[in-house]
Amino acid sequence: MFKHLFKLIWNKRKQNFLFLSEILVSFLVIFAVFSFLTYYYQNYSKPLGFDYKRVWCITYDNGELTKNKDSLKIFYDNLQKALKSMPQIEEVAYSGSNYPYSDSFMSTGLTHNGKKFNYIANYTVGADYKKVWNVSLLEGRWFLPEDAVSKNTNIVINETLKKQIFGTAHATGKLIGNYDDKEKLKVIGVVQDIKASGDFLPAGSAIFNPMDTAFHKYTHNILIKVREGADATFESQLYKFMANTVKNAVEIQHLDEMRDSRNKQTIIPMVIFIIISSFLIINVALGLFGVLWYNINKRKGEIGLRRAIGASGRSVSYQLVMEAVILATISLLVGCFFAIQFPLLSVFNIPASAYIIAMLLSVAFIYLLVLFCSFYPGKQAAGIHPAVALHEE
Amino acid sequence: MLKNYFKIALAVLKRRKFFTFISLFGISFTLTILMVATAFMDKILSPDYPDYKRTRSLYVSTMEYKNTKEGWINRSDVSFYFFEHYVSTLKTVQKMAISSNAKASNAYVNNKKLVIEYKYTNADYWNVLEYRFLEGKAFQKREIDNAELVAVISEETKKAYFGDAKTVIGKYISADNINYRVIGVVENVSKTLHNFSGDMYLPYTISKDYKNIDLMGSYNAVLLAKNDADVPKMKKEFDQMVKKLPLPKDFDKIYCNADPFFANITRRIAGDGTSNGLTKVVSIVSLFILLFLLLPTINLVNINITRIMERSSEIGVRKAFGASSKTLVYQFIVENLILTFLGGIIGIILSLIVIHLINGANLISNMRLSMNFTVLFYSLIACIFFGLFSGVYPAWRMSKLNVVKALKAQ
Repeated sequence: MFKHLFKLIWNKRKQNFLFLSEILVSFLVIFAVFSFLTYYYQNYSKPLGFDYKRVWCITYDNGELTKNKDSLKIFYDNLQKALKSMPQIEEVAYSGSNYPYSDSFMSTGLTHNGKKFNYIANYTVGADYKKVWNVSLLEGRWFLPEDAVSKNTNIVINETLKKQIFGTAHATGKLIGNYDDKEKLKVIGVVQDIKASGDFLPAGSAIFNPMDTAFHKYTHNILIKVREGADATFESQLYKFMANTVKNAVEIQHLDEMRDSRNKQTIIPMVIFIIISSFLIINVALGLFGVLWYNINKRKGEIGLRRAIGASGRSVSYQLVMEAVILATISLLVGCFFAIQFPLLSVFNIPASAYIIAMLLSVAFIYLLVLFCSFYPGKQAAGIHPAVALHEE
Repeated sequence: MLKNYFKIALAVLKRRKFFTFISLFGISFTLTILMVATAFMDKILSPDYPDYKRTRSLYVSTMEYKNTKEGWINRSDVSFYFFEHYVSTLKTVQKMAISSNAKASNAYVNNKKLVIEYKYTNADYWNVLEYRFLEGKAFQKREIDNAELVAVISEETKKAYFGDAKTVIGKYISADNINYRVIGVVENVSKTLHNFSGDMYLPYTISKDYKNIDLMGSYNAVLLAKNDADVPKMKKEFDQMVKKLPLPKDFDKIYCNADPFFANITRRIAGDGTSNGLTKVVSIVSLFILLFLLLPTINLVNINITRIMERSSEIGVRKAFGASSKTLVYQFIVENLILTFLGGIIGIILSLIVIHLINGANLISNMRLSMNFTVLFYSLIACIFFGLFSGVYPAWRMSKLNVVKALKAQ
C-alpha cells in the first residue's frame, strides 16, 4: 500500500516539490511562533516572586547633593527616617538604578571552583529592599546592619544562581569568587527568583549586594511601599517634599504601570507576529486546499477506474488523504532536521524543553492543517460515480 | 496586444472564482503588510515635522572612548561643552541646534498626575528645526543669556495641564517645583523622532549640567551646512576636529561622528564608533522581507502552476500555431502582473484601513502614519517585484509544455 503511494508521489515529483516546500516553510514559521509562545508561557506560569502592587519608585538627580561621604550618609539616613515617618508610607529602601521593571540592567560575573558564571544581574540594595518587595527567603537570612563590618562582602543570591553553582546543596555560608576570583563573597541567604523584566521573561540568575556608603554618591533611586490610602494628593505632597530635599529633577513612577508597559513590550510584537503568521497560514491552507481539489478533479479517470473494480468510497478518500499525509511527513522530516538544531545548539539561550514542545506542537498543527485541507477533496473524490467518471474519457 | 492579454487575464480570473479569491487574498494581504511597513519606514526616514532640512544636516549624538589594549568601551551622549567649545569653531557649520535628552518630571493638576518630558535647547534650535507655533514664540538669545524661567510647551501638554484654556501665554507651569512662564505652544512631535519630541522645551542656561567641562554629557545636536554641497566638507572638518580632541585618562581613542540622518539611526542600533551599521541594518531588513515574502510566493507559484495546467489546451493550440516560448512567457508574466496589481489595489484599501486603525490606537505617541506618494511608489515597486517573483517559474514551466501532450490532455 505505502509502496504504491510512494510510487504515485514519485511520478509527480515536479508538482509535489512545490507542495513539499510550501509545507516546509509553513512548518518553520509555525515552529518559530510556537517556540515563542511556549517560551513565554513557561515563564508566565512561574511565580512572580515579589509584590509590585503599591510600590513606587522615586528617581531624582543627585547632582546638587553634597559630595562629602560622611554628610551624604547623614543626609540619606535622615531622608529615610523622614520618608518612613509619613503615615502613608509602609517601607522605604534605596536601590541601584536596575530595580525590577526599570529598563536598566547591570550584570557581573562570578567564579566558583575555577568555573566562570556570566551575565548575572547585580542588584545593589538598601536594608529594607526585601520588605518593600516582599521577597521570600528560601534559606539563610537577609542583610543585617552588622554585615557592614564583616570580613567578606556578604551577598544574597537567587534560586536560579544557587542551582547553577551549587545544584541541590545548601548555599548559605559558602564562599564564591568575584569576576576575576580575587575577592571572596560570602553567601548569607537564598531568595526566591524574581521576574524583574516582566511576566513573560525568565528571572535569570541574580545577586544582591548590600548598599554601602561608597555607593551613596551614585544613588538616585528610592523605592517605597505605600499603604492602601495613598492617592494623588499624597503623591504631589511627596513630590514637593522630594524636590525641596534634593533641589533637582524628581520623578515618581508606579511599579504597576511600569510592569504594564514592560509586558506590553513583549505582548505587542508577539500579537503582530501572530496576526501576520496566522494570515500566512490561512493563505497556505487555502492554497493547499485549492491544489488538492484541482488534482483530484484531474484524476477523475483513475478514481473512477478504482471504483469500477470494486474499491469502496472510503478507501478512495483514504488513499488521497494518505498521499497528502505522506507528503507532509516528508517535509516535516526535513523541517524537524532544521528545527532540532535549535535545542542542540541552544540558540538564543531558550531552554531546550521550549523548543521540543514547540516542535511537537507544530508537527501536530501541520498534520491537522493537511488533514483539514485534504478531507473535503478526499470526500468529494469518494463521491465520484464510476460511470460518470469513465464516460468522460 | 496588451489589451488582448488583459482580456484573457480577466477571463481566466472569472473562470475559477475560488482560485482567483485565493490568489487575490494572498497578494493583497502580503502587499498590505509591506505597505504598512513602508509607511512606517517612510515616517521615520523622510523629512518630517519639525526636521525638514535633512539633506543639509548632520547629526551628532554619541561620544565613545576606547581603550584598545584592555578592550574597555565607554559610550554616552555628548556634552554641551563639546558643542560650544569645539563644534562651534567649525567654519562650515552655519547653525547648530543643541538639545538635551528628554528628562521626565511630574506635575500634579487637579489630583491627577502628568508626566512631562522636558528638554533644554539653545536659541538656534528654533531656527534649524521648524516647529509650528500655535501661539506665542520661541525663546531667543536674550532669554537664554538671562537664564529666564520660560518654557515652550507642546499642544498635548497644554491640553493636559491647562484644559480648554484658550490662550496660555504668560501662565505658569510647574515642574520639579519650579514655575516656568509659558511663552509658546508648538504642535506635537511624533515620538519616533526621538531627538526632537518632548512636552516642554527650556533654555539650556537653566539646566544644571551645561557648564561641565567634559566631552560626555546628555546633549545631542544637528549641524546645518550652508547648502547640500557643503555637507561632505562639514563632515570632513568635523572628523579633523575630533582627531585633535584631548584624550581622557585611561583611554587611547575617541570616536564621535557627524552622520546623515539614517546613518545616525543605524549607528545607534547596530553600529559603534568605527562603523555606522548601515550595511548591517539594511541587509538584516532585506533578509527579513525576503523570508516573509517566501511563503506567499511559493503559494502563489503553486496556484499559478495549477491554473496553467488547466489551460494546457489553450497553450497547446497557441504553440501549434507557432507562438514562441518567449511570447508565452511574456504573456503569462503580464497576466500575473495584472493579477498582482488587482491585489495591490485591494492591498492599498486594506492598508488605508490598517493605518487608520494604528493611528486611532495611538500605538506610538503622536505618530501619524499616512499614505503618500513615496509610500505608493514603493508599493508599486513591491507589486512589480512580487508579480515577477511569483510569475517567472510558472511561466517557464508553461513554455516547456509539450504541444502533443498538451493537446492530448483533453
